[in-house]
Amino acid sequence: MRFNVNGKDHALVVESTDRLLDVLRDRLNLKGVKEGCGTGDCGTCTVIMDGGLVNSCLMLAVQAGGRKIITIEGIGTRERPHPIQKTIMKYNAAQCGFCIPAMVLAGKNLLDHNPTPSENEIKQAISGVLCRCTGYYKLIEAIDEAAKELSGAKA
Amino acid sequence: MTEVALVQKLREGESFALIGKRLERLDALGKVLGLPLYTSDIAPRGALKVKVVRSTIPHALIKRIDIEPAKKVPGVLAVLTASDIPGINEAYALLPDRPLLATTKVRCQGEALAIIAAQDSEAAEEAADKVSVEYDRLPAVTSPVEAMKPDAVRVHESGNVARYLRVRKGDVNEGFRQADVIIENTYETQFQDPTALEPEVGMAWIEKDGSVTCVGSMQTPYYVQTGVAKVLGVSPDKVRVIQATTGGAFGPKSDEMPVDTCAMSALVAQKTGRPAILAYSRHESMIAHTKRHPFVITLKTGAKNDGRLTASEALVVSDTGAYASLGPLVIIRACFHATGPYVIPHVKTDAYCMYTNNTMAGSFRGFGSPQVHFAAECQMDELAKKLDMDPLDLRMKNILRPGTLTATSQLVDEACGLEECARRATEAANWHTKRREFARDRGTFRRGIGIALMYHGNSLGPEGNDYAYVHVVIKPDARVVVRTALTEYGTGAISGLAQITAETLGLPIDLFELDRPDTASCQESGPTVASRVIVIGGRAAQIAAQKLRDKILSVGADLLHCEASSLTIKTGLVGHLQDARRTITFQKVVEECYKRHVSLTETGYYIAPKCDFEPETSQGTTYHQYTYGAVVAEVQVDTELGIVKPLKITVAYDVGRAINPLSLEGQIEGATIQALGYGLMEQLIHVDGIVANPTLGDYYIPTSLDIPDMQTIIVEYPGAVGPFGAKAMGEPPVDLPAAALANAVANATGSRVFELPLTAERVLFAIRKHQ
Repeated sequence: MRFNVNGKDHALVVESTDRLLDVLRDRLNLKGVKEGCGTGDCGTCTVIMDGGLVNSCLMLAVQAGGRKIITIEGIGTRERPHPIQKTIMKYNAAQCGFCIPAMVLAGKNLLDHNPTPSENEIKQAISGVLCRCTGYYKLIEAIDEAAKELSGAKA
Repeated sequence: MTEVALVQKLREGESFALIGKRLERLDALGKVLGLPLYTSDIAPRGALKVKVVRSTIPHALIKRIDIEPAKKVPGVLAVLTASDIPGINEAYALLPDRPLLATTKVRCQGEALAIIAAQDSEAAEEAADKVSVEYDRLPAVTSPVEAMKPDAVRVHESGNVARYLRVRKGDVNEGFRQADVIIENTYETQFQDPTALEPEVGMAWIEKDGSVTCVGSMQTPYYVQTGVAKVLGVSPDKVRVIQATTGGAFGPKSDEMPVDTCAMSALVAQKTGRPAILAYSRHESMIAHTKRHPFVITLKTGAKNDGRLTASEALVVSDTGAYASLGPLVIIRACFHATGPYVIPHVKTDAYCMYTNNTMAGSFRGFGSPQVHFAAECQMDELAKKLDMDPLDLRMKNILRPGTLTATSQLVDEACGLEECARRATEAANWHTKRREFARDRGTFRRGIGIALMYHGNSLGPEGNDYAYVHVVIKPDARVVVRTALTEYGTGAISGLAQITAETLGLPIDLFELDRPDTASCQESGPTVASRVIVIGGRAAQIAAQKLRDKILSVGADLLHCEASSLTIKTGLVGHLQDARRTITFQKVVEECYKRHVSLTETGYYIAPKCDFEPETSQGTTYHQYTYGAVVAEVQVDTELGIVKPLKITVAYDVGRAINPLSLEGQIEGATIQALGYGLMEQLIHVDGIVANPTLGDYYIPTSLDIPDMQTIIVEYPGAVGPFGAKAMGEPPVDLPAAALANAVANATGSRVFELPLTAERVLFAIRKHQ
């Protein structure tokens, strides 16, 4: 299969039964993709595929053939974190951190499509990712502030 | 400085450089980038996958375990049963009741019977399916109340009572004679799954010298070390345990499961010579790990017509499942807090921790407190209804205030902000206006507002020796490392230790780093439980920091030619208190210390005073410090469908001293929503001992769409134990929301639901019954 992950093209031979999650984690060493349930309920394995969120535990790797995937490793760097990453830090909205890669991706994907989301739209956008630590409040505040920063910067 | 003087100073508004500041956590950048390495992320290539074969029935004699077909599955390297354990086949937290691998009997679903080690997960799964187990079924007891009966099925030879204790204060019969009104009700709570988003996982390999290294998701590395060494039959110093980044814990990762995952991996590593990893599936996790204890609580309460409480009689029964885990300690906290935070002259509480053939319950944030506060706070509302009083007025007549006595006759000290919490939460929520306004709702949708109050004994109290060690190292480049066997699993408390150390040393926080908890480099420090990292660990950090501060000042005094007592450290500078020209950088003093071979590695040790109470009556000091709080919940109930929609939660907590208000709010918000789940939707259903909904598709925890508006109010009455007066705050905010929601629903509908969670069926049934 061929696909593009975080801007880089990959050609891999995979089993037809391999999950996208395992290929990303084990073959491409993208350990920021987490497995919290394996049944599509918790959302910690969320990645962005062609501008939409998918549960990588529910997808076969071959289904990602020809697609563009973004994982947390493709968002921000130590020197230049993405605005959502900065505001999550500012609000201490990363506690245990296990859902955070998926939360950052869900937040970024929202802002890619809707730069000025309402609180309700933020709640909708992250509702597929469970967080057991924060109660979501600080995550929502963080995404809201990042949206304002980003749209302010563009205006 | 004495504690009293310190508290005095705090009251006078002493300003701090860092305490009380909204600081970013030290692990924040790594976490937002997805960099932290959780156990599964660091499994070496070629690590064997371990799979556990578990019992599928709740109570049976094991006739035969046939592992031969499993051994033949290609890719399988080992299939182990109890007879392969070289050491002692035990894996229990408290009472010697639980084997690592069952031998003759299974007492609940999910008990481990055999371990498979294979090249890959598929082979391990296939082999696990091929292990056949022949049972002789036994009748099962699955209700803790049934388990109390003399002719009940015995779960263990010793009987079904894992622990009994009681409170006796005054003369409860006299108290009821004085009462004008007496009410009696029974309340029931459910199994709650902790649902840390990272399921249990442990890994092990053998070092060249034959010793074992374990890495896992855990709260208490030294518990794992002891447990693994026992199973392997080696001395604990041959087992090194490192806590990997841990994806949530909430209590159970201090119980048996981290021992199980690491010990089973270690057994495989020992047998095969290869690294091995055991990662639970979510399904397996929800069956095997410890959960919040279900309770059945009967409360009889007496009061005068004016609302003054005269007597409380309580029967508190918990279901600890087939193995005790931490149940015998959970029941202590439940027993001592069973009256709620009220002054009651005559108290009689009997508390039983019962074995059943349900799956195991153990530690879970709140530790017995949410269950008893649910009962006590519903009972206060029922009493208010009977007396035709406002529930807030009834509470204010009876709450603990400085100078009053608790149910265990402990004198409440000045550090009691309960009244202020209740006042401020109800003011912020507009209690009286909303009570009136909501009462006018007609039609299908009815709103309601409810309150609940709490007290929460801090740290271990009567549950064990309450000590901690914290190591602090100032490196040659003047960066500071904080290292302890107390662990970070999401709370931010270890960053809090760095903050306390930085405050004491007079240094900016960005000089600080945290080290990984590792039995090879950290002294045994007690369990990371009971919200004790800041309260107890913080004191140890202060002590370590103070020792280093003294050294820095002493060498600094030499360099500046003055007395150490005339120097201070502020924002990274060592300077003279009176003479601003006499200043030197912290860095220079550190360099000088290294030149002079003055060690800049120090360990702080703190142990809390022992709790002193009479064992027969539990009268005396049960905890040295209490957190207090008030929660007001507003709901809307669809009275035709029974569906409860939470509208707003207002909370006020007396936290003693907010070390980092940002992290504190995170704890309060997270606990509130975990407790909202407990109140409204979460229930791990057991049907005849079998878990009916062990998936996140069938067991719902709150999503971002389930959360109501929330307001948090911080109240500070500095306590006598914690650093800078800080009180325990990891757990207490989980105690009340379910109770406040239950009272709000009763206010909306006029009908009481006596069980958790407040499902649509129950709410509807209560409404219909009432009509």
